[in-house]
Amino acid sequence: MKQRIPIQRRIRAGKDFATVLPALLFLGLFVYYPVVQVVRISFTNWNLINDNYSYVGLKNWVWLFQGSGTKYLINSFKVTALFTLGELSITIIGGMIFAVILNRITTSFSVMRALIFLPKYIAMSSAAVVFIWILNTQNGILNFLLAQFGKAPVNWLGDKNRALFSILMLTGWRTVGYGMMIYIAAMRGISKNYYEAASIDGATKWQQFTQITIPILSPTTLFLFVTTFISAMKVFQSVDVMTAGGPYRSTEVIVYMIYKYAMEDFRMDRASTIAVVFFLVLLAITAATMKISNKRVNYDA
Amino acid sequence: MMHNIDERQQALLLNEKSIKKRKISTGIQYTLAILVTIFMLFPLYWMLISSVKSQEEILRALPTFWPHEWHFENYKNVLQRANFSKYYYNTVVMTAGILISQVVTGVLAAYGFSKGKFKAQKFLFLLVLGALMIPLQVTFIPLYIMFANWKLTDTFLGLILPEMVSPYFIFMMRQAFLTVDDSYIEAAKLDGMGRLGIITKVLVPMCKSTLITITLVTFTNGWNSYFWPKIIAKNEVRRVLTVGLVHLRNTFAGLDTMNNHEIMAGAVLSILPVIILFFIFQKYMLTGYEKTAMK
Repeated sequence: MKQRIPIQRRIRAGKDFATVLPALLFLGLFVYYPVVQVVRISFTNWNLINDNYSYVGLKNWVWLFQGSGTKYLINSFKVTALFTLGELSITIIGGMIFAVILNRITTSFSVMRALIFLPKYIAMSSAAVVFIWILNTQNGILNFLLAQFGKAPVNWLGDKNRALFSILMLTGWRTVGYGMMIYIAAMRGISKNYYEAASIDGATKWQQFTQITIPILSPTTLFLFVTTFISAMKVFQSVDVMTAGGPYRSTEVIVYMIYKYAMEDFRMDRASTIAVVFFLVLLAITAATMKISNKRVNYDA
Repeated sequence: MMHNIDERQQALLLNEKSIKKRKISTGIQYTLAILVTIFMLFPLYWMLISSVKSQEEILRALPTFWPHEWHFENYKNVLQRANFSKYYYNTVVMTAGILISQVVTGVLAAYGFSKGKFKAQKFLFLLVLGALMIPLQVTFIPLYIMFANWKLTDTFLGLILPEMVSPYFIFMMRQAFLTVDDSYIEAAKLDGMGRLGIITKVLVPMCKSTLITITLVTFTNGWNSYFWPKIIAKNEVRRVLTVGLVHLRNTFAGLDTMNNHEIMAGAVLSILPVIILFFIFQKYMLTGYEKTAMK
């Protein structure tokens, strides 16, 4: 009797473990193992053109940090940072403005909100080809509309000072509705009492907005900031479809740089090195944002 | 007494004023909201009407905001000549594969991590969460080499395998299962139900809305995926819609505006299933992101 219980318990634990085993095996094989591999490849001279490879020590790392790769890495981080900043501003500021405009509980407003949120679900590649057509220099509708105000045609995607901005238009179109939905959900949770008390004290609508709404929404803003930050760092699709990193590397974000070295130049060694750097940066950002948000949560509680 | 009436009149007057003020602000809000909606819908509208225009009409110097003639054969051309019917088939099979495997592995693992009990449970769950921080953009190089060695390029298996397990799915489902009281599970056990019975007959029905929401997210992510399919299935045989659409555009890239009407038809075709789902399951698709946000 005494021995049967542990055995039964062990069988039960084994069966419970079996339910998580498939997931763990897959994550091990297709997520964790490749991370180890990508670090390993960064110390080799692996390219897909030769069959063999050998370990070359820090050669790729020297290339990336003290060689001809350095300026491209710096460029890519700069472009990615600019893009991230742009997407953050559109999602947070634009989302907040849209939320204020669309926060009303009627059927027509909920239909409008759904339509504004819809672009989030449109495949990036489809949205990108639509924007390429809208931004077309000769026949694009945007340049046509601008011409009505006497503006000369703008080369939206071919001008190195504008291309990133054009990509941000597309990105912003897809994410601003997301920011709006998140803000509206949070605004609904704010007690009416705050506003009533404030208006009795004679606070204007604007004062109420800046002194009640925005501070109360700061955890929501932080949430949007963190999630948007991480996803913006990983941008690839819009760049790949709209500009392919050009013109003159002006839109070559970090993931596009990795992709180009790996899939176009077949330099798996160099691409892996950049990928490892990118991974470390992502981890650092995640850790930093987690620390900030933990502090914030405690502070509020 | 006099004083009292005076106050009341004043209040009434103030009320009238504020009602008027409120009416104006309501009017402004409606106008702004409608403008914002039109602005946001314009790209979709432009895609739709461009997709039915003729080649001549689309290249006119003076763009038409409503097509003069309707050319639905653009769609036929895209499906047949540009082989979008093939891409459709590939996308459907890939998405179905990803969906089924993510639901099965996700629900099972969510059960184990919420209601199961085994050694190193916490640590293993941390491993699942850790996987959330390792994007495909970091691991695709070794994955590609591995899959090329396994001869999985341009195959369905190659498309599906890396997406078969979603840590996000496991995490969200586990959160939902945790809210189910253990007494339900004890009762089911007394009825002689095994683990699979408890999962399919107790937990899943009780967490139906979460499951639907996450499954819809999985579907759209699978349907819209681009990065990995572009790497592993470049060629016609297993090319999916997202990649095919960009391919269609690039084959004409040198000619610039030549076939934008057909590209737009392709764009409409590739987003159609997701849009239909969006309108059917609006309730779930709108709250999906909020739920994750409130976490």
